[in-house]
Amino acid sequence: MIQLTEVWYWAGENQILSDINIHVKGGELLCIVGPSGAGKSTLLRLIHMEIFPTQGSVIVADYNAQMMTEKQIPFLRRKVGVVFQDFKLLEDRDVFENVAFALWATGVRRKKIKKRVFQVLAEVGLSHKRYTLIPELSGGEQQKVAIARALANEPFVLLADEPTGNLDAESTEEILELLKRINGRGMAILMTTHKEDLVKTLPARMLQIREGKIVG
Amino acid sequence: MSLNLLYSAREGIIGLKRARMATAITISTVTISLILLGIFMVLTLNVHRIVSNFRDQMALEVFIDNSLSSEEIRLLEDQITQEEGVAEVLFISKEEALERFREEFGDDPLELLGENPLPPSFQIKIQQAWQTPEGIEDVAKNIERIRGIDEVVYHQNLFRMLDRYSRIIIIVDIVLFSIVLLSAILLVSNTLRLTIYSQRKTIQIMELVGANQSFIRRPYLIQGILQAGVGGCIASLVVWGIWRGIEFRFPHLIEISPLLLLASVFLSLLLGFWGSLLGLKRFLNTT
Repeated sequence: MIQLTEVWYWAGENQILSDINIHVKGGELLCIVGPSGAGKSTLLRLIHMEIFPTQGSVIVADYNAQMMTEKQIPFLRRKVGVVFQDFKLLEDRDVFENVAFALWATGVRRKKIKKRVFQVLAEVGLSHKRYTLIPELSGGEQQKVAIARALANEPFVLLADEPTGNLDAESTEEILELLKRINGRGMAILMTTHKEDLVKTLPARMLQIREGKIVG
Repeated sequence: MSLNLLYSAREGIIGLKRARMATAITISTVTISLILLGIFMVLTLNVHRIVSNFRDQMALEVFIDNSLSSEEIRLLEDQITQEEGVAEVLFISKEEALERFREEFGDDPLELLGENPLPPSFQIKIQQAWQTPEGIEDVAKNIERIRGIDEVVYHQNLFRMLDRYSRIIIIVDIVLFSIVLLSAILLVSNTLRLTIYSQRKTIQIMELVGANQSFIRRPYLIQGILQAGVGGCIASLVVWGIWRGIEFRFPHLIEISPLLLLASVFLSLLLGFWGSLLGLKRFLNTT
């Protein structure tokens, strides 16, 4: 499903990733653990095809980074959900609009949008807050909105870049539970974190990354 | 209209409301740029109109033999009319010439000399294409060769001076117009960038969720066109208002064509489109 083979990535003169080999299977929950600056986010950006490897191959479903055209990128992104530590939500819109935005942007019809938004909001447990503005939500709730938005287009994999990095212990637990539930219904999740103890609570395969290399 | 286009239009309008300050700055910038451009164009066109009128009014004075009969004068008139470069021929009889002299100088040659010494003449207007020092000289020489013509008089030096100054005015005009237009384009595109910059997070999220480039661009292009269009309309109204003010104080001094005002609005729409397109190039593919 996701295959990174002998991937190297340089940003100018700095080597960010070296000789990365990762295979993510369908339905798998894979956690990449490492300190800040180890290259975790770069790895996810490669899979999301925001950046491309200097060397090596990145294959996500049917999309090969080496043969990717600019026009194909949006289609890949509709199939790869992504959430971030800083949520990246539109703060001047409410919960419903934030989730619907992902569907509007990909040309989904109005009737289907409403139905789908209600479905994903129910899945993350935020149906009752659908008309609440983003700044009025707690950090945990904002991350749930981000997850709902990532799920809206029914991706086959969810990339979660330090999804609990900005959250307190209680919200962290809620988000991890939600991710477990989503993975439990068959969706692959690739999560990065710098907190190793978090991963131990998850039924996940773990990879350690240090200075751009997979070390265990 | 497709749903996506409706959505883009709605997003574009909502975006303007969200970025009120940037919108106000953009509309003001477009308005000021186009007012300057409009005033410049009105002045330029009027300078050209005045120069052109002046050229049109310049005529050759063709004095004819005093002894010609009216039939011969009529034949002469036909002959001159057929000459290349001649636009209009006006016959001035001895009596009319005397009347003009009286009006112009206040004296009556008839009283002083006992007879009318003024010869009959033709006043000849020149076709626009021949209104150059060389062209007029050619026309004058050709007419001078015709039998029955005594003398052709025209202000050769004045024509040469007018021609020289017209050329200078055209060059200065082209240079100034290019500078003003270029400044307007740069100013408007940079200000539109400001509106787009204020909404860069939205663009980033659109890219994240898989919106294609045309979907991302559309609301901002609509925003750019709307902002510039509003600015263009205000600018046209202001230029029209200034013209009405001048017209009230000094009637017929300056003419203004409604086409110029429409062109200004059309130019503003183009500026909005280009400006947004340029602004977007910078913010796309930034995720």
